[in-house]
Amino acid sequence: MRSGCRLAALGMHCALGGGLDEIWPRLLAGDRSGLLQRDDLVPGETGWYAPARGTLPPLAPEFAEYDCRNNQLALSALEQIRDAVDAAIAAFGAHRVGVVVGSSTSGFSRAESAFRERERTGELPASFALAQLEFGGLSEFVARAAGAAGPRQCPSTACSTGAKALLTARSLLSLGFCDAVIAGAVDSLCGLTANGFGALHAVSARPTNPMSANRDGLTLGEGAALFLVTREPDGVQLLGGGESSDAHHMSAPHPQGRGAEQCMRGALADAGIAAAEIAYLNLHGTGTPQNDAMESAAVARVFEAGVPCSSTKPLVGHALGASGAIEAGFCWLVLERREGEGGVLRLPPHCWDGERDPEIAPLELVGADARLAAPAPVAVMTNSFGFGGSNCALVLGDARP
Amino acid sequence: MTRIALASWGAVAPGLSDEVTWRSWAAAPAPLRGDVRPDVSFLPAMQRRRCDTLSRTMLAAVNACCDEPQRASALSVFASRHGSFATTVEMLESLARRQPLSPTNFSHSVHNTQAGLFSIWSGNQQVAQSLAARNETFQQGFLEAVCLLDRAGERPVLFVTGDEALPEPVAGLSDDPHPPYAVALLLWPEGGPGGALELTLEAEPAAGDAPAWPPAVEFLRWWLRGEKELRLPAAPGAFVWRANARVTPG
Repeated sequence: MRSGCRLAALGMHCALGGGLDEIWPRLLAGDRSGLLQRDDLVPGETGWYAPARGTLPPLAPEFAEYDCRNNQLALSALEQIRDAVDAAIAAFGAHRVGVVVGSSTSGFSRAESAFRERERTGELPASFALAQLEFGGLSEFVARAAGAAGPRQCPSTACSTGAKALLTARSLLSLGFCDAVIAGAVDSLCGLTANGFGALHAVSARPTNPMSANRDGLTLGEGAALFLVTREPDGVQLLGGGESSDAHHMSAPHPQGRGAEQCMRGALADAGIAAAEIAYLNLHGTGTPQNDAMESAAVARVFEAGVPCSSTKPLVGHALGASGAIEAGFCWLVLERREGEGGVLRLPPHCWDGERDPEIAPLELVGADARLAAPAPVAVMTNSFGFGGSNCALVLGDARP
Repeated sequence: MTRIALASWGAVAPGLSDEVTWRSWAAAPAPLRGDVRPDVSFLPAMQRRRCDTLSRTMLAAVNACCDEPQRASALSVFASRHGSFATTVEMLESLARRQPLSPTNFSHSVHNTQAGLFSIWSGNQQVAQSLAARNETFQQGFLEAVCLLDRAGERPVLFVTGDEALPEPVAGLSDDPHPPYAVALLLWPEGGPGGALELTLEAEPAAGDAPAWPPAVEFLRWWLRGEKELRLPAAPGAFVWRANARVTPG
């Protein structure tokens, strides 16, 4: 029997706000006001983006070599769980607290401005450092800012990054290499991803519209979600995870969702529960024609009796590697903020134009103000699928007897 | 402390690509200089064209490390400090000139590019992880491979690590300039085929000077020399490998 894997604390910053008390009511209200039009990311094009709401904390001068928007997002999330991290360091010692914080963009936006300056002056600015651009710079920064001295790494598997980071944290705990792990992911808006997804014709000219007959692409977002993961047996648990590779194509998913189905089934098996016990599924739901077609088909095969589900990307955009951690964070909020004696779940709505696509498998999409009576133990699932055919599904919920 | 087994290895560095050349280098190691031209004729032509230097180097190391059934069934970890960095720099230069990006370059610049190419080449649908950890990338990647072994069941874990030479204009910014290289190790849970290994993480920092070659290459040198213990610095202090009861050195 595996020991507990508690998602003990959560810090989050995204288009819905900085901090859980800002994010939760907007998540339930289906607040899309965080999606904004910008013309500074793709030359000559105005598009929709979901930037992190509000201001971000500045990095202290001693962290100048890490200074970039991505690490500011990380710091915003870290500050929210600082007390829990400090308590873990006090209880276990700094060297027993690990850091598994991933990214798919790191400080690209900072590097872009440095390369623009080089185009003008012939030199990269003196303030530019590789630590801003390196993926490993993120995990090193989080470790130093947190005072954590345990094993540290930055996973980067495109859009499955944040979900897979939590499974690495679980292994580090169960193998005894750490007693607590700061785990999650951070991604920031930048020209590289905006132009890259644009070149792949994956970006919608309108706010994203997942699972609709009219869907035509994603909306890019950004954000950070950091958990403190411990071995405690109570609270919201990471009950299981499933991972797979499509072995199909670098930038397109397997059309029938072979890898998606495999990782959802793997997550259920790992958690030791049946599909019918999942109370809510947070879809990957990017709004691209390919993702939604294959994901809906895979979900319909795994959840034969249906499952309430929603994509939250219409509210926060597709935060790429961070999305897996942010959406696990939304699932955590659903579980943590149950209401009433019997435990009523409030579910994030699926915000779209309501035009069902007859070509894809029908899903039970969550409507406005959805409440679900769900006696404990409750379990929910979240899906993440990325470039390179990298797939991950997580099951979060109450500990099972 | 965790016990595992190292069944086989494959590695590519300037002038070194087969067991004979690696063993003679390990007997009299010297700093590695120059370029690599790995033989990737085993890849289908279509895939070969899309492979940058890092992909070619890593996949050549994998090809030297394990056979087709092992490649198809192993879980995998790809660890690289900089990933497909020349492609990233090329895209940063395009953006600075307000030029469009190549969709192929973009989809082959993600950090899990080599993991994706590996899974497509080998038809492998298992778990694949990719990561970076600055100058501890080999050490933290090895730990990730040990973590994956814990959930691999009866399967091995293929651990691949490497980097390409840093391109201009960022080469001068690096604190560890290395030639292009890749090392692939096929790992099994304790009792599996190959030589037995223990990995321990210690809070005390490793003492001594860093070798003049990448940590992954130092690990391979140590393994080929049949020495008892290897200590490399990495958070939380030092990673310590001990080889014991080595029946058939890989």
